[in-house]
Amino acid sequence: MLYPKEGEPNMSAWDLDRRRFLRLGGVAAAGVTLPALLAACGSGGSSSGGGSTTGALRVSMPADVKSLDPQKQGDIPSMSVASNIFDTLTTRDANNNLVGGIATKWVAVDANTWRFTIRPGVKFHNGEPCDAAAVAFSINRLVNPATKSPIVELVYVKSAKVVDDHTVDFVMSASDPIIPEKVSLFGGVVVPPKYLAQKGDAGFAAAPVGTGPFKFQSRQQDNQIVMTGNPDYWGTKTQIKTLTIKIMPTPATAIAALQSGEIDIATGISPDAIAQLGDNSGASAHKVPGVREYYVAMNTLTGGPLANTNVRLAMNHAVDVPTLINTVLGGAAQRTPSLLPQQVFGFDPSLQPFDYNPDKAKSLLAQAGFPNGFSTQLSASTVDQDVTQAVAGQLAKVGIKCNVNIVDATQFKSLLVSGDPHAMGPMYLSGNTGWTLDGESFLQSTIRSNRRQSLWHDAQADSLIDVEETSLTPDARKQAFNQLQQLMATNAPFVYLYHASNVYAVRDGVDWTMPINGVLAMASAKVS
Amino acid sequence: MATAVATPSVRRHRFGAVGSVGRRPLVRFIVKRVLQAVLVLFFVATVAFFIIRIAGDPVKALLPEGATLQQEQQLRHSLGYDRPLFLQYLTYLNNLLHFNFGQSVFFQQSAISVITQRLPATVQLATAALVFAVVVAIPAGIISAVRRGRATDSSVMAAVLIGQSTPAFFVGIVLILVFAVELRVLPASGIGGFQNLILPAVTLGLYSAAMIARLLRSSLIEVLGEDHIRTAKAKGLSPMRVIVGNGLRNAALPVVTIVGLEVGNLLGGAIITEQVFSWPGVGRLTIEAITNRDYPLVQATVLFLAVVFVGVNLIVDILYAFLDPRVRLS
Repeated sequence: MLYPKEGEPNMSAWDLDRRRFLRLGGVAAAGVTLPALLAACGSGGSSSGGGSTTGALRVSMPADVKSLDPQKQGDIPSMSVASNIFDTLTTRDANNNLVGGIATKWVAVDANTWRFTIRPGVKFHNGEPCDAAAVAFSINRLVNPATKSPIVELVYVKSAKVVDDHTVDFVMSASDPIIPEKVSLFGGVVVPPKYLAQKGDAGFAAAPVGTGPFKFQSRQQDNQIVMTGNPDYWGTKTQIKTLTIKIMPTPATAIAALQSGEIDIATGISPDAIAQLGDNSGASAHKVPGVREYYVAMNTLTGGPLANTNVRLAMNHAVDVPTLINTVLGGAAQRTPSLLPQQVFGFDPSLQPFDYNPDKAKSLLAQAGFPNGFSTQLSASTVDQDVTQAVAGQLAKVGIKCNVNIVDATQFKSLLVSGDPHAMGPMYLSGNTGWTLDGESFLQSTIRSNRRQSLWHDAQADSLIDVEETSLTPDARKQAFNQLQQLMATNAPFVYLYHASNVYAVRDGVDWTMPINGVLAMASAKVS
Repeated sequence: MATAVATPSVRRHRFGAVGSVGRRPLVRFIVKRVLQAVLVLFFVATVAFFIIRIAGDPVKALLPEGATLQQEQQLRHSLGYDRPLFLQYLTYLNNLLHFNFGQSVFFQQSAISVITQRLPATVQLATAALVFAVVVAIPAGIISAVRRGRATDSSVMAAVLIGQSTPAFFVGIVLILVFAVELRVLPASGIGGFQNLILPAVTLGLYSAAMIARLLRSSLIEVLGEDHIRTAKAKGLSPMRVIVGNGLRNAALPVVTIVGLEVGNLLGGAIITEQVFSWPGVGRLTIEAITNRDYPLVQATVLFLAVVFVGVNLIVDILYAFLDPRVRLS
């Protein structure tokens, strides 16, 4: 027996030792917890209180950046931060026109060469010159597989070569008419070659140096990124002295932070979060057009009702898009009659959307041989489940009974790009994002017969896609887009829905409009 | 306990002077537990490796929808995910043995550095939540147990029930609306000063506080009914000494276990609280890693959480064995 029985005299010894042990445990616990608490106290509270009087601007963003290396990210939050620190070869003005950035002019010399003239006198934040060599280095770094860049737009760029100090040629493997549009964001960022050579990729990502209107100051992952206005900027200098991007994944929290004065602009918020703002809150909500176009794709390749054009036309007449926008989406979308938003190159303004007409839908179904409708499946990602349920409800009213299949967002995207167009089942609701503001970006994955998400094969559509994807003549491309959209209206391989708006809220006294691509380029913001 | 006088020799005998008889079972117990822990970690590492590969592909999550098949294959090749699965697994195990947790696909930095950057925030929040929980739960549990069946007990237990059954996202938003938006005394989100810590710590600690209070109450009620308490009372000790000195000490054992397990929960399970308060901790990172199907980062975070749980359990087991000899002898 190693330990005494209860009642034995030395029981007290065990008692005493345990007491001592517990006392020691208490001291140890305090030793562990106190430093953490003291550390928390010591860092002081400076999070609230308006910095606006000192030219500070605090903006919430729903997700953190993947990397501060602008060539190792491919998402809007990362590009939002990058667009303040870096410049791109071309850019968009307030009216969405393509204008010069680091490049002042661009021309397609021939089908295999795009020539960019580089702005003279631009310097990186570390003083390094941003010349033709830096531009060529940036493009070559991007297209080098070793960079493992998720940016894919420059797929036909083989390399970039320096012609002279102010001229760079893109050597193409195939004709690409929208290279200037593609270098207005992700693909066109210019990085400093010498700084990168000194610091290495990891060092560059930890403390990025660009030519942009803001200089990087600090970052705490998943919390905030701080930048300061660049007084030596080559373009219009920003009025903002300190720009803080705060990561706030919950819309309700972002709105609360706006109301309590912790931030000046809340982005990434949902339309229903706006209701939380209320009147006299000292802030206003805004909805501006975005670049994500939504549709329901129908599989016309496997026979059954969806192979019948009248059925597909009936579906377009059965879905009440304006009601969807006003109810489910809180007004944060604009209706579109095709797969192209009104703001992009190639949109056909003569096109009218299908009218909501359940009776016409029923008679079209009867003509197609389905007077009592039919049953099918409608898949969508968790992100779009509300609108998908509403679409299914509207289709049910004309007799089309949809089994709604909601898939985890990442899984949904994997299925979408799986290479098997049938992986999504007979119908799915999804969206295309086209920040190039060119029709090509909205059609490239879904229309041509050989594309991964193509569920409608039409020889005429294929040849029209070839024209708009390769012709260097804008008029020829525009004509091809118009014909394509007419063809898509008569064949109705999709139910055409809407393009979603960007929703954000701004504190009174702050003036800023979110660009159509949703990128938080803050240089133009004004704080009074 | 008038005869309870400890002699130095007895004390040495208890806590293991060199060559003491009492030490060996404890050492054997600890060695056994550590080996079990290593085995558990190996299984966790293996399951995490295969499960995340069933769930999806980081290359598809990383590239935009417009990427070509060739671009996809190129990236997959450069990440090494086109190699046979078994080879990938062997490399992974080999790397683990060298404490190499791989490179995060999305963040393009070592997975362990991505985690350690967020670790201080998580530890800070978990510690504050635990302190809050214990500070609230111990008086609540004692009051409830002593005033068993009376109005005080009922109201404390009703409050505890509410604390235990209200979800964190709701508590969090209500606290933000009251203290940040209406009263404007505390910040709504983010990490920074002590003020930033209060609301998330209360939100996170509320459930633990409720659980500990309930457990302490029932444990204390049981102990207070025992003979030695009656003896202590009969000796004329003050009620406070009886409760704290005799009752609480004996009721502490199950509470220690639960507090230990809660440390694991608070370190790994703060996902909702972190999300609501924009707290840059490991919980949010885990969700991000899974959403992105970032294989190395998911593997590393799962393993990290497993180490925390196994480690805390190990400490609790050893503590228990230390406090209660029956455990180590069984």
